[in-house]
Amino acid sequence: MHYIKVAELAFHYEKQPVLTNISFELNPGDFVMLTGENGAAKTTLLRNVLGLLKPTTGQVSLSPKNRFGEKLTLGYVPQQVASFNVGFPSTVLELVNSGRYQRGKWFRKLNKDDKEQVRLALESVGMWDMRYKKIGELSGGQKQRISIARVFATDPDLFVLDEPTTGMDTKSREEFYKLLKHNSEVHGKGILMVSHDHEELRNYCNKHIELIRQEGLPWRCFSMDSCKELSKPHFSSL
Amino acid sequence: MFLYGFMQRAFQASLLISLIAPFLGLFLILRRQSLMADTLAHVSLAGVALGLLVSINPTWTNILMVIVIAVLLEYMRMLYRTYSEVSVAILMSSGMALALFLMSLNQGGTSLNINQFLFGSIVTISKEQVWILYLLAGFILCLYLIFRKAMYVMIFDEETAFTAGLPIKTMSILFNVLTGVTIAIIMPIVGALLVSAILIIPAAISMRLSRSFSSTILIGIPITLTGMLSGLVTSYEYGTPPGATITLILVTILAIIAIFKKLTQVFKLV
Repeated sequence: MHYIKVAELAFHYEKQPVLTNISFELNPGDFVMLTGENGAAKTTLLRNVLGLLKPTTGQVSLSPKNRFGEKLTLGYVPQQVASFNVGFPSTVLELVNSGRYQRGKWFRKLNKDDKEQVRLALESVGMWDMRYKKIGELSGGQKQRISIARVFATDPDLFVLDEPTTGMDTKSREEFYKLLKHNSEVHGKGILMVSHDHEELRNYCNKHIELIRQEGLPWRCFSMDSCKELSKPHFSSL
Repeated sequence: MFLYGFMQRAFQASLLISLIAPFLGLFLILRRQSLMADTLAHVSLAGVALGLLVSINPTWTNILMVIVIAVLLEYMRMLYRTYSEVSVAILMSSGMALALFLMSLNQGGTSLNINQFLFGSIVTISKEQVWILYLLAGFILCLYLIFRKAMYVMIFDEETAFTAGLPIKTMSILFNVLTGVTIAIIMPIVGALLVSAILIIPAAISMRLSRSFSSTILIGIPITLTGMLSGLVTSYEYGTPPGATITLILVTILAIIAIFKKLTQVFKLV
C-alpha cells in the first residue's frame, strides 16, 4: 500500500510552469528526503501533496486509511507559522495539546494517555520545562521545536515536514533525525521531508527526491530525475 | 435607577453581551478580521434601511443582509488572500453606500429610526430584544463549548487545520455568519458606529493580560461587564449616549493596562 501517490504531476503558477513530470510513491515506513536548490518549488510540491494547491495536470492521492485500516492521520509542519507572533494568547502546552485533537479528541477531553504523549513529545524536543510559556515569547528555534513537538504529540501515520530543522543546532538535528528514523523503521510511519541538509540527512532516510532544472524546460520549471532509493526500508507493512 | 424596568432590561442585555463579546472579539482579532465587525455593522445599516423602505421589521432584513455579506466576505477573503483587508474596505464602503442610497429612496420621516440604529440606545431595549439576546448568548456559548478545539486549531494556522481534516471553509463562513447575526441583534442597542468597539476592545485588553487561550476568553467576560455596567450607570447619571460612554470606558481601561504593563517592564529592567 502507499500513503502518497503522485503521478505525472505538473503545476503552473498563473500559466507559468513551475513543476512538471513529478511521479513518486511514499509507502508506510518510507523516510523520503525532498531536496532542491532555492526556489525549486519544494514547498509547492508539498502543498500539492497536502491538497492545499490543486495540480494543473496529473494526480495526487493520499491514502484515506493507514496500514491498520483506520483513518490516516497526517502531521504537517509548515515552514512558517503566521500565528507565532507575540500577541497570540496561547501557552506551549495548549499548542502541543492541540496536536492530540485530531486523534478523535475534537469533542472529547484529553485523557491520561494523551497527556503522556504530549509530555513525551515536549521532552523529546527539550521543551517540557517551558510548557507554561507564552508561545509568542519563544525564540525562532524554540518555536520550531514546539511545532515539531505538536506533530509528535499527534503521532501521525504520515509526517509532512517543510524544513523543520531551521534554527536547530547540529546535535538537536541529529537527535531529531534519529527520532524520525525510529518512527519510520519501527512504527512504520511515512515521512516526507523537505531539507537542505542533504549529506547529514541521507544517513537516516531511505529515499531521495531531488527537484532539478532539466534542459529543454522553461526557465523556472523544475522536475525530478528519479526517486533514488538510498537504502532498503527496514519496515515491512506486509 | 435599578427599579426602572428599562434599566433592568439594559443590565440584563449588558450581562448577555458581556458573555458573547469576548468569544467573538478574540476570534476576530486572531483571524485578523477586527474590521470585519465594522464592515458588518455598516452593511447592517443597509439592511435596516431596506426593512424601513419595504415596511418589514428591520431586524429580519438586517439579519438577512448580514448573512449574505458574511458569506461574500469569506469568498472575497479567499480572492484577496494576500491583502485580505481589501475585501473589508470594499464591502464596508459598499454597505454604507447601499444604506445611504436606500435611505434616500425612503424620505418619509425615517431619519429618527435610522439614528436609533446608528447610535444605539441601550435604555430603550425591549423585552423581545432581551429574549433574543438570551437565545443568542446560549447558542454561542454552546457552540464555543463544542467547537473550541477546532476553532483554536483553525485560528492558529488554517493550513495545518486543513491538513488535520477540518472543514475550514465551512467553519469560516459559519463564524462570519454568526458574527453578522450577533452584530445585527446587538446593533440597535449599542449602535452601528460602536458595535465593533464592544466586540474588539475587551478582547484586546484580555490579550494583554493573559498568557493562555482559555484564560483570555474568561478574563474578557468581567472586562466587558465592567465596561458595560459602568458605562450604563455613567450614561444614566450624566445623560451621555450609552454606546459612546461604554466605548470610552473600555478604551480607558486599555490605556491604563498598557501604561501599567510598560511601567512594570521598565521597573523590572532597572
